Amino acid sequence: MLKYKHFFLLPGLIVLVAIIIFPLLFTIRVSFSSWDVVKPGLDWLGGKNYERLFVDLRFWEALFKLSLMAAGSVLIQYLIGFSLALLVWRDVIMKRFIRVLFLVPMMTTPVIMTVIWRTILHESLGPANDIVRMFGFEHLTWLSTSGMAMFSVILVEVWQWTPFMFLLLLAGLLSLPKEPYMAAAIDGAGPLRTFFSVTFPLMAPISAGAILIRLIEASKMMETVYVLTSGGPGTATETASYYIYIRGLRDYQIGYAASLSFTYLIVMIISLTIIAKVMTRKIIRD
Amino acid sequence: MAMIELSHIAHTYEPTAVTPAYALEKLNLVWNDGGTYALLGPSGCGKTTMLNIISGLVRPSQGRVLFDHVDFTDFPTPKRNIAQVFQFPVVYTLMSVEDNLAFPLICRHVPKAERQRRVREVAELLNLTDKLSKPALKLAADEKQLISLGRGLVRNDVTALLMDEPLTVIDPQMKFEIRRKLKKINELYALTMVYVTHDQTEAMTFADTIVVMNEGKVVQIGTPQDLYNRPQTTYVGYFVGSPAMNFIKCTIDDGKLQIAGGAIPVPPGLSIPAGTENLQLGIRPSNVKLGTSRCEQSLRGTVQRVQEFGNYRVVTVAVKDELLRLKLAPGAEIPALDTWVVLPEDRICLYADDELLAQK
Repeated sequence: MLKYKHFFLLPGLIVLVAIIIFPLLFTIRVSFSSWDVVKPGLDWLGGKNYERLFVDLRFWEALFKLSLMAAGSVLIQYLIGFSLALLVWRDVIMKRFIRVLFLVPMMTTPVIMTVIWRTILHESLGPANDIVRMFGFEHLTWLSTSGMAMFSVILVEVWQWTPFMFLLLLAGLLSLPKEPYMAAAIDGAGPLRTFFSVTFPLMAPISAGAILIRLIEASKMMETVYVLTSGGPGTATETASYYIYIRGLRDYQIGYAASLSFTYLIVMIISLTIIAKVMTRKIIRD
Repeated sequence: MAMIELSHIAHTYEPTAVTPAYALEKLNLVWNDGGTYALLGPSGCGKTTMLNIISGLVRPSQGRVLFDHVDFTDFPTPKRNIAQVFQFPVVYTLMSVEDNLAFPLICRHVPKAERQRRVREVAELLNLTDKLSKPALKLAADEKQLISLGRGLVRNDVTALLMDEPLTVIDPQMKFEIRRKLKKINELYALTMVYVTHDQTEAMTFADTIVVMNEGKVVQIGTPQDLYNRPQTTYVGYFVGSPAMNFIKCTIDDGKLQIAGGAIPVPPGLSIPAGTENLQLGIRPSNVKLGTSRCEQSLRGTVQRVQEFGNYRVVTVAVKDELLRLKLAPGAEIPALDTWVVLPEDRICLYADDELLAQK
């Protein structure tokens, strides 16, 4: 039975319906239509868009490349972020200054920084190849060969988002209890053994949380690719969201893009849920 | 097995301050080989600091730490042959119980066969044998604390076992069991054991010698009996014993102690220097008796309150402006209102400026 207290939920519910529920349901409906630039409108196409999507290799490849770049960049961010956090965790000179310095990339505007990175990595004008040549190497095709372009996208992502990982992991390290370290010292454990027996297990829940947050963020990877490589060379660095953008907002195949979006959403929900479950179950079991 | 000596030890956590506050004020202490000691005092009195100085986790701001007359002040923790158990159980979360117990031996590169033998021996002593293959994280708090203890015992180089409020997170019924095991360990290995606690019952039942601390200072060192019967300061009187010792202001007049409107003889053998001020009479609640008629040692009072504690009852009697508490047997007869309270002279302690006056 509705009571007056339930009406207090209305403001939140209205916002939720307006910005999430309605667009989601509308996208699902659009995905069953042939809405495009020639024939805009909600007709009924049945499952044709989904049939087309199922055999659209470019989309599945984009999903695969996204997984590769997201997993690669988040793993590297974790390793570097953890190392930096360990570096400034204990007493080092200018600890506060270094901590702030490490956070600077996160405070910059991602799109602007990607433009700067594109300039740096420019094969004939950018300073990156000047530095490479200085060390006597051949100039590198930073953005024009598949492998290197993917590496460059990961490099920019790592530069931009490692500070976030660093911040989460440093907060975690600072909240660790002292007793296990005292016990390890008394047991005679050296720094390496202390790290693997105390720090790493204690940090496991925080690490899992940080990795999940970054994976969710990285699964939406788009602006770096858009500015740095435009998905190129060819479709070498095309991510799922960038492909959906091309189909929907460049080719105006709204109906097909909606089916891509919905499928992308389902794939992401399933895969991230599995990853989260596996990580938390491992931590809880251990 | 070692004699531990703290020589002119003092410690501050703010060494660069102009007037640093000392967590531990300058003191000299000797812990005898194989003795069981309890460090008793309220939170923040410097107990843990003292323990960490002995184990090397804290380097003292001043003074030296000697083990069997050898200076160990600058020796790192692993080289001190000390085991320490902390307030909260510490287990290595990714390891099994067996690996946890073996960890100190692995760090010291003890051969596998010897390691296994020691682990099984200690597991048997601590009743952990059937749990050796289980993940340490899955055990209950008391079993985890036993693992912490076991990691100390598994080493054959340990000479002293330091325990920092180890039973805080343990269920009351398990506390007794673990204390019994600690006693057994002391008998078996003859380790010097130092036990930090703010629970006087724990201190009294565990240790042969109790060190009472307050605000970074050692207030009294003695056996449980000494502390109970002859507290050196009013602080110890308040802190040790339940209910706390009774303290009543008094003066000396006509060779008698003038207390709360009455007078009783000065206990024999007491030398009270002339001009002594702030005199207080101290007597344990269990030593005060109820009388049916006036006698030389009695004062007139009125029963104010009776509290039942099951195996004893506490009676509060108002003697003029002062309140006296009596600890009586459960069946003891208590008068309805007016009564006589008797202060046996051999049980009276006299304090001047909160310090016990010497008795010949």
